[in-house]
Amino acid sequence: MKESPINRGKLCPKAYASVQWLYSPQRLKYPLKRVGEKGEGKFERVTWDEALNIIAVKLQEQKEKYGPESLAVLSPQHRTYKDYFIRFLTVHGSPNYGHSGICAMQRAFSFAYTMGTPMASADYEHADLIIVWTANPVYAGTPMGTIKRILDAKERGAKLIVIKPEMQPDAAKADMWVPIRPGTNAALALAMLNVIINENLYDAEFVSQWCYGFDKLVPHIQKYTPEWAEPITGLPAYQIREVARLYGKAKSACILAGNAFDQNIDSNNAVRAVAILIAISGNLDRPGGNIVPMGSTMPLLKSIKPWERYTKDLIDKLVGPEMPTCFQPFIEGASSAYYHCLNSVLTEEPYPIKAIIAPGTQPAVITRNSKMVVEALKKLEFLVVIDVMQNSSMPWADIVIPVTTMYECDHPFEAPPMGMGHWIMARNKVIEPLGDYKSDYQFWLDLAVKMGYEKDFWHGSIEECMNYQLENFGMTIDELRTHPTGIMYQPKPMVYEKYNEIFAATSSRISKAPYLPQGKVAIYNTTFEEQGVNPLPEWVEPPESPTGTPELLAKYPLVFFDTHTSDVYNHGWLRNIPYLRESQPDPWIHIHPDTAKARGVGDGDWVIVESPHGWIKVKALYFPGIRPDTIMGLHGWWQGCDELGLPGYPLLDGGANVNILYNTDPKKAFDPLVTAMPKQTLVEVRKAENIV
Amino acid sequence: MSKQYGFYYDAGRCIQCRTCELACKSTHNTEPGVKWRRVTETWSGSYPDVTRTFFSLACMHCEKPACVEVCPTGAIRKRVEDGIVVVDRDKCNGCQDCLPACPYGVPQFGKDGKMQKCDFCTEIGSEPACVASCPAEALYSGTLDELLEMTTGKATKRMDGTTKPSVIIVS
Repeated sequence: MKESPINRGKLCPKAYASVQWLYSPQRLKYPLKRVGEKGEGKFERVTWDEALNIIAVKLQEQKEKYGPESLAVLSPQHRTYKDYFIRFLTVHGSPNYGHSGICAMQRAFSFAYTMGTPMASADYEHADLIIVWTANPVYAGTPMGTIKRILDAKERGAKLIVIKPEMQPDAAKADMWVPIRPGTNAALALAMLNVIINENLYDAEFVSQWCYGFDKLVPHIQKYTPEWAEPITGLPAYQIREVARLYGKAKSACILAGNAFDQNIDSNNAVRAVAILIAISGNLDRPGGNIVPMGSTMPLLKSIKPWERYTKDLIDKLVGPEMPTCFQPFIEGASSAYYHCLNSVLTEEPYPIKAIIAPGTQPAVITRNSKMVVEALKKLEFLVVIDVMQNSSMPWADIVIPVTTMYECDHPFEAPPMGMGHWIMARNKVIEPLGDYKSDYQFWLDLAVKMGYEKDFWHGSIEECMNYQLENFGMTIDELRTHPTGIMYQPKPMVYEKYNEIFAATSSRISKAPYLPQGKVAIYNTTFEEQGVNPLPEWVEPPESPTGTPELLAKYPLVFFDTHTSDVYNHGWLRNIPYLRESQPDPWIHIHPDTAKARGVGDGDWVIVESPHGWIKVKALYFPGIRPDTIMGLHGWWQGCDELGLPGYPLLDGGANVNILYNTDPKKAFDPLVTAMPKQTLVEVRKAENIV
Repeated sequence: MSKQYGFYYDAGRCIQCRTCELACKSTHNTEPGVKWRRVTETWSGSYPDVTRTFFSLACMHCEKPACVEVCPTGAIRKRVEDGIVVVDRDKCNGCQDCLPACPYGVPQFGKDGKMQKCDFCTEIGSEPACVASCPAEALYSGTLDELLEMTTGKATKRMDGTTKPSVIIVS
């Protein structure tokens, strides 16, 4: 609908396939209870009430036997129902909200502890130069405005630089495509700092007034020359220099840093280096740079996250902290890394998780080391899978809970995420649920009531819960419904350079210490230094890379990475949707034609891609706009499409699941501050013989 | 023909997101393998100096449609009122002569063997779904005069071609 400021009535290709999603034959129609062995995938139908009773009895049992922390909830991608289960976990007594460890929070953390704010949005409308660095605003959030704003800025005369290993459609629009080798963003950022500092392209006044530790950065950065960065990034030194100069000399320049910054062990270093670039170039909270938005006159929705219940005792029980416990809770609440929740089942260190509830997430295809995940799901005492559609974790589930799509649900609200918005609308139901199920929100309320937590959960009433959240609006949900297209509020006029305010922000951790102890940009980070981490950003090699592990190149000469986004798919879903599957019928890799021909691989041939950790079978698609030393794949392939007669694929070796390819060595594959496991490794590609 | 309707396409803004493809596909529920609108791409140069350009192609609703000339049963006709080229599938005999005749490969054939293609959403009587859907504002529709007069600040022209396609492009 045009009245929504989120998309102004535009959609993306996946949304246009919604009718097939809603009415898919693979929709989960009623709750299921396992009969037979785990892994057999044999279920019998039960009612919603019976299913929840089984879950409640089990959780109560385990709470008494193992402690409430033995329950983990694995996080879906960002959903408004996350607050409901984070509340449930906390009230239950578990801190183990298993956030992915490879998305958004990784950037937010390092940005917050360097420049005082978890996010500084690119001010495209006023920028002379826009740098899109690994992000993909074409496939992700297509109608939400970012790519349109970038195109408009280009037409206004702004220059666009896109830094990523493959020429995705946004790079096709760039004035300069910088084809960086995967996993090397920190090296490029450090080399850019070297040029900008040594060529005096930084804002000396801002640095002297608002930055702490610049004098220590200067000698530290000397070794990170463009010539040093060249073999690591695969970019010619002159190009690195050119990008640095363009950024340093631009009157105003902004950077959109994408998910790849969350998915490599150089994460905290890379993000810190980018934050320092934004700061010392004089682009922080200035027109055309990276700005901290002002918000709007819209009242704040009351959060249902139980911040007051986070205690040191509770935090200390995290089975595998996503960030060190001294930094918790971070902005979403306390969190363990998704990977560690699963791995603890096998290692039993520091203790084993005994129950996992997995809403809208598919551990077997979405986190690293799927072999470990499948073993963990087999061994796990109790698994609840919650989804709209059949999903890849189901074979190991004890209970499967179907839930509504947004079309079958009239709660809670539509509102731009994370307090950034100026519009709110009551959600409208389009049709009645197609089976015996309710919404995700109602699941957590109902389960809470069954567990005896009703006093903390509005006695299971979603209306009362919504009215609680709307308190600051001075209206009830019924009153909000009288505005069929919602209520718009005025954005507050932008105030730039509000450094006193930004740099004074307190963190959400138990100590409530400020992000920036000096009240200035933490170029030299004393907070991290106290934790034994280098106070200045440095280069860290991924576990497998041409420059870090050259001994592997003889057997695995190519770099493999996977892209986070797709035009027609979303993570592990949508391969069963005919409208979408016909655009991308087979799991694929993009390979440079020369690289393929050197291996006797034709365009469209099936190939084996093998890393030191596993192998997959996919279709090789010739792609002229990719580094010849690099192969790109897409994660989330497991499902068939019955209507098109297209198969599914095994989850492990010989399937199409890229997450079996990567290193997960506890000593090598984790950023010490933010988890951030790599989605990049070394591989060889060969034509698949006609094997079954 | 001043009442000739057509599309406006801005390759500079098209991002190959495929929203137009899926808007068309879901609006008309075209079967697997049939796409009334598709976004093609052209690569040139060699790494790292490559260019990648896109073209969102439906039907050109040409002024001199080759498909109409070649159709033996008269199933394909050009409407007088708006210049839209439509096919009557009851009259179509599935000979597929229109396919090689069309310079753009527009005619599509599904399980029933009859020709089907973009009809500018005239049968459902709405603004073309693809145009309404484009999140990059790369696609518009209207009369050719209207499209040429659009104030985008860009130089535009009618697309060249022997069949005189009714498409305005950014030059």
